Amino acid sequence: MKLRCPPTSAADTPRHDGRARSAAVLGMLIAPLLASCGVTSRMEPYKQTDAVINDGEQVVILARRHHANHEAEQEFINCISDSLSKGKSGIAVHPSSEFEDKMYPWFEPSMAPLSTDDLSKLLEKPGVLEQVRETGVRFLIWLDGSTDRVASGGGITCAAGVGGAGCMGLAWWEDDARYDATVWDIKELSSAGTIHADVKGRSVMPAIVIPLPFIARPQAHACRGLTEQIRQFLTTPEGYGAGPEQG
Amino acid sequence: MRSVFSTVFRSTLTATAALLGACVSSVVVDARFPAPLIEPLPVRMGILYDDELRNFVHVEALPQQSAWTIDLGDANLALLSPLFERMFVETRTVDAVPVAPQLRDTIDGVIRPRLEKFEFDVPIGERDEFVEVWMQYQLTLYNPDGSVVTEWPVSGYGKAELTGRREDSVRRATIIAMREVGAAISTKFAEQPDVSYWLRERQDEAALSADLGS
Repeated sequence: MKLRCPPTSAADTPRHDGRARSAAVLGMLIAPLLASCGVTSRMEPYKQTDAVINDGEQVVILARRHHANHEAEQEFINCISDSLSKGKSGIAVHPSSEFEDKMYPWFEPSMAPLSTDDLSKLLEKPGVLEQVRETGVRFLIWLDGSTDRVASGGGITCAAGVGGAGCMGLAWWEDDARYDATVWDIKELSSAGTIHADVKGRSVMPAIVIPLPFIARPQAHACRGLTEQIRQFLTTPEGYGAGPEQG
Repeated sequence: MRSVFSTVFRSTLTATAALLGACVSSVVVDARFPAPLIEPLPVRMGILYDDELRNFVHVEALPQQSAWTIDLGDANLALLSPLFERMFVETRTVDAVPVAPQLRDTIDGVIRPRLEKFEFDVPIGERDEFVEVWMQYQLTLYNPDGSVVTEWPVSGYGKAELTGRREDSVRRATIIAMREVGAAISTKFAEQPDVSYWLRERQDEAALSADLGS
């Protein structure tokens, strides 16, 4: 059984009445734990052009993969691609693997352009610009970052005997999802802006006979937040993203 | 007594083989590789895929882990065949170098690719998240008469998140490394000094033939 970690500002405490003293005691024990469990997010969008996506234009989301020690997880790329294309205001998203195959070898980790100047030079190569036009992709979004465990502690001890089994203790851990989405406008051959997402999530698992995991999911939260920011970025002209948004 | 010993020995051997069999991780790299988006070089190339490349299987026992067998035979052809077809205006497979005398006027050179080195690492620690693969091919360019023009080692590196089955992660990392090799071959082959000089010679010969013909 996994319980979703409640928002930090909405830690529910069970009602304390005379009929359920034991539940109240348990609640008093767990409430501070729940209060310590939660997600904090920070989104910093910055848009430097008034370019917006038009009908018939597509966007492709690619992971920056030239780092030795990390890269954006494929499931995170899929999460953003799927979320962005869904709904009434869905945006046409070109599948990343299909785009990499059509443009092969120019978007392999060792060959991919690192700047818009590199992109300009790439598009001058024979057949490359025509192939990009054929895909219909106007905006290229580079995702860089990862979700990492930054801290953990506590411990749980379990024991079993003839009369039964049980666990006792408390474990906690903190994950940090940090991602940068850099948006390139292929039509204008320029960088349209960046969105920085930093989502921290602390999970706790108290064990009083049975372990009760209260799981924070910062990566899922980052996916939702970043998707919404990218959607606004691509559909709202200049003026969007005037400053950091704290949540 | 002898028959009892024999029975015990055979049972032990069978059990050991079964245990070893259970500890072997097998990966067959089956993938489709795209043809590169490049301009073909103006030469007719013979390609020699020898049996070692066609049936390449890497076998290795990693420390503190199981033994691994990684079958790359089909993947080698899946990578290199569309690659060379796009790299040159004309390609044909040949069986040997030097090529048969009747074929020498139909091709300008022969490429023989070999997979020289394959290394990989599957992490066992909790904090290591990536499977890594490094591989090196050796491309030998011959003249049709069998003389070597140049030998070029070309390597590729790939890493993949360690999610789900370890075999799947090794397969994904291998495919990424092979794509890197394909990227290097398709974009840097003509830039190798010996190859560049050889290409100029072929172009000069073609121009001279055209002049003489006209």
